[in-house]
Amino acid sequence: MVSYIARRIGVSVLILIAASFIMYVLAAHSGDPLQDLEGSSSPNKQALIQARVQSQHLDLPSPVRWLLWLGGVARCIVPIGGGCDLGTTFQNQQVTQLLPEATAATLQLVTVAFVLAVILGVALGMITALRAYSGFDYSITLVSFFLFSLPSFLIAVLLKSFIALGYNNFLADPTLSPLALAVWGVVVGLIVQLIVGGTFRKRALTFVIAGVVTAAILWYMSITKWFTQPSLGPVVVIVFCAAIGFAFVALLAGVHNRKAWLTAGINVAIAIVCYFALQGLLNVSSIGTLIILAIASVVVGLVVGFFVGGYDRGLMMRIGAFTAFFTSGVIVLDRFMRSWPAYMDITNDRPLATVGGATPGLNGDVWITGLDTFTHFLLPTISLLAISFASYTRYSRSGMLEVLGQDYVRTARAKGLPERTVIVRHAFRNMLIPITTLVATDVGALLGGAVITETVFGISGMGRMFVAGLYSTDVNPIMGYFLVVAITAIAFNFLADLTYSALDPRVRVR
Amino acid sequence: MKITRKRVRPVLGAVAVAAAAGMVLAGCTTSTPSSEASSSGKTITMAQVNEVTSFNYNTPQGNLDINGMINYMTQPQFFTLNQKYDIERNTDLGTYKKLSNDPLKVEYTLNKGDKWSDGTAMTADDLLLGWAIGSCYYDSSKTNDNGDVVSGTQYFSTAGGCVYQTDLPKVSNDNRTITFTYKQPYVDWELVNPIQLPAHVVASEIGVSTKDLTKAFMNTPAGDADNPAPANKTLEKAAKFVNTGYDTTSLPKDKKLLVSGGPLVVSAWTPKQSMTLVPNKYYTGKHKVNFGKLVIRFIADANAQVTALQNGEVDAIQPQASADTLKALKAASGVKIQTGDQVAYDHLDLNFKSSVFSDATERQAFLLTIPRDEILKSIVTPINPKAKVLDSQIFLPGQEGYDQSVKQNGSSEFDKVDIAKAKSLLAGKTPTVKILYNSQNPNRVDAFQAIQASAAKAGFKVVDGGSPQWASLLAGGDYDASIFGWVSPGAGNAMLPQLFQIGNGSNYNNFNVKEASDLAVKSQTTLDASKLLDIKMQIDKLAFTNFYGLPLFQSPGLFATNSKLKGVEYFGGQTGLVWNVWDWSK
Repeated sequence: MVSYIARRIGVSVLILIAASFIMYVLAAHSGDPLQDLEGSSSPNKQALIQARVQSQHLDLPSPVRWLLWLGGVARCIVPIGGGCDLGTTFQNQQVTQLLPEATAATLQLVTVAFVLAVILGVALGMITALRAYSGFDYSITLVSFFLFSLPSFLIAVLLKSFIALGYNNFLADPTLSPLALAVWGVVVGLIVQLIVGGTFRKRALTFVIAGVVTAAILWYMSITKWFTQPSLGPVVVIVFCAAIGFAFVALLAGVHNRKAWLTAGINVAIAIVCYFALQGLLNVSSIGTLIILAIASVVVGLVVGFFVGGYDRGLMMRIGAFTAFFTSGVIVLDRFMRSWPAYMDITNDRPLATVGGATPGLNGDVWITGLDTFTHFLLPTISLLAISFASYTRYSRSGMLEVLGQDYVRTARAKGLPERTVIVRHAFRNMLIPITTLVATDVGALLGGAVITETVFGISGMGRMFVAGLYSTDVNPIMGYFLVVAITAIAFNFLADLTYSALDPRVRVR
Repeated sequence: MKITRKRVRPVLGAVAVAAAAGMVLAGCTTSTPSSEASSSGKTITMAQVNEVTSFNYNTPQGNLDINGMINYMTQPQFFTLNQKYDIERNTDLGTYKKLSNDPLKVEYTLNKGDKWSDGTAMTADDLLLGWAIGSCYYDSSKTNDNGDVVSGTQYFSTAGGCVYQTDLPKVSNDNRTITFTYKQPYVDWELVNPIQLPAHVVASEIGVSTKDLTKAFMNTPAGDADNPAPANKTLEKAAKFVNTGYDTTSLPKDKKLLVSGGPLVVSAWTPKQSMTLVPNKYYTGKHKVNFGKLVIRFIADANAQVTALQNGEVDAIQPQASADTLKALKAASGVKIQTGDQVAYDHLDLNFKSSVFSDATERQAFLLTIPRDEILKSIVTPINPKAKVLDSQIFLPGQEGYDQSVKQNGSSEFDKVDIAKAKSLLAGKTPTVKILYNSQNPNRVDAFQAIQASAAKAGFKVVDGGSPQWASLLAGGDYDASIFGWVSPGAGNAMLPQLFQIGNGSNYNNFNVKEASDLAVKSQTTLDASKLLDIKMQIDKLAFTNFYGLPLFQSPGLFATNSKLKGVEYFGGQTGLVWNVWDWSK
């Protein structure tokens, strides 16, 4: 194992060096680095050209410049002679300073989208596999392929003009007309009946109930000015918390497990008490407070699970932790909502943003800045999500179908295990093995930056740094980008191999 | 009973943990920050394409428009340009006057009470530093072709270069006035702004007192490349700091770098996103701003700028002008659009050294086939409906002298395509013309194709010489004609010898009319405005009558603002949107 890891690292470094050489030379020859100056009419033109040639060593052939660059990189690892040096841009900016800024912007943009894409993709893929060849399956297939095929710039622009501009305009007079209510009712009804499925009678009934309930809720939100002054309120918080408890019991333990009911029930009760008790604390919270609260809630859940215990103590602890964590999420969500009117004031009643990652000069508590991040990253996240989650649904659907057809699943069913156990415990875990590899390789690609999404939403991350460097044949920022992307790609491929062997006993690394 | 106990225990445990957590949390809370509604004045937000890279615009690497904009608002200016590119004196800071013509002597006086944004008084020390940076007085360097200094010392390296020479300036006793004596008359003396960076900041950054810095300037002899003196250490350090010390990627921790002498001062910078400027409380006069905060957001994509404007996230934008952007802006409600010309213009130059165009008749015949109107209509009119064909090689429309010069320079001969005349001039010959242009610029490709089609009618065989590496090919001369763009500074006459002097490095097309060349050189030492105008008109005429080439069009520019922001006016120069920032209100 150790020799395998050492070998892999050695090979990776060699690959990196070779790839960096190819990248450097290709980038250096992709254009004329002096183009903007050579066409200039400045009386000082020659001096300007010389200054750039000097600072970027353009008088040397590109392989030699690559060696110089490599020397600077080597000093990042072995600190001799002046420390890390990834060169400067034409504007004399240190690439070592630019890279963390760009990486941070990209990470902020892609992380949530990536996590959501994996969770949603796998969940939807699983559900469609369980109900393979149903109307629901076909609809999800249709939608995911549709989103997959949409060019990212188009989906981004559509989101901006319909969601951001549209919703902001709607907020100026947030009342829904009867027609709008009817349309929403029909649409939601159609979707819900697709998910529920069953006989025609059952579908029709589902459609009517879902439609009417949706329209009624929207109508209530409309007349109570919910869109400008949103909040959940005690009743909805209690209902949500109870629903979360129920969901985890049903999903993880099954509805006949009384201990599970007890664990979830205690946690839901604690959450509801906290909802009323902690408001004063939440008002003066910082981000640190929220993190401590989150940890505390998980600990409480674990402790409750531990004490309820029984023959399946581990399961109880998991149910407790999940229930506690998500119910406290509901409380935090409610608190965020109640900061919405203040945030609307700050943004002149146009809360949804179309560019950048934050309102410039915003000065507010954690709830306001949290909302600000939400309004800025909502649309870019949706647009990235829409494109990338399709592939996960496809992989997990086919993976699930394959696993479900295997002998050990049939055996599990034959010995009388409940369907929930068969799927969650036996099938789901094995389905995850190929997905792990996919996720690991995707991380490298993700850091490369979603160039187009970054451009359209005015977020200057890695993609922008790369493109800007390429336009002016400024090699150093391109190579900085390359380093980060190549190292993550190689590292995560390596990790994927290791994880694979850990997950699948049939695979061994040597 | 066992069960009951078990049920109580977890609750007790949970309560205990919750209580402990509560106590920890008490140490980790914040008080609610006060609302900023009370802050004086409104916030104006504008969008820019590029991010700031340096607080010193006047270096080879910092010479970007966006850096220039920041400097324009944060550095003291003795003058500004107006919409017609005329020089307007800015008496907020001080006054200047010409004392004599020969030798040219100019005296700059700071107003009493001028202060930098940290409260330090502005003095002649600052003027001396500004002069030292701009004049290259101390340089004694010789360089080889790669720009390596082989002997002597080069101190300040500037984007503008050494365009004038003076003696060591005289400083008055009250330390507010400085007098330059030029070695020879300098046509653009009014464009010399002898103050840029605060001397006390430069001095403290290199660890000396302002007095010592001034002493170093006063005591170091003028540079002599043939007998270079050993470098002055103080001066060398000061130059090194000025050359690179202001380059940065984020708000410098050292607040001294932000010291401003203009109406605004940089107060915050979120890298990659936005920069915030607030009024300089020590700035008084007519350029004092009427708002509380100016936020510049960096948004590269033109369409993203348009939606941000529509969504109220920014109040003013200056996107890359294109027909699509204009269409999107027109579709948006409550947006005020201003289109106009930029100081950049495209032109067709004929190579006087090429075998085809060394002959004047063939030059004339070729120019007669250039469909300038068609090119304008296909490239510029969709963006700027008011645009007209550019009819002068020297003046821009709106500048004093343009209308006068157009009447006399002979450009009217090329107003319309005249294939018949071109054919008769060619007398049956079918010359081959290779045109160099930037094949990656769609506008240049369009212009080339229009010219190719039109010239073919007269019998010219136009060969496609387009290349992405056009700029490095310009000086080689391996082409018969070239299409590319110049960026005129708007004011000043430094471009005249660049373009028309025989043997000048920027005279790519080897224009070799002696009379024009002599006039161009003479213009640089002509101080009399009417004489200068006359010289420029003569050169303009010589360029057309000798078939230098043809100016095609000015690049279109585009500003857009929402209805809340007042006072934004179009300006085609390099300071763009912010040229009249002091007139803005919201």
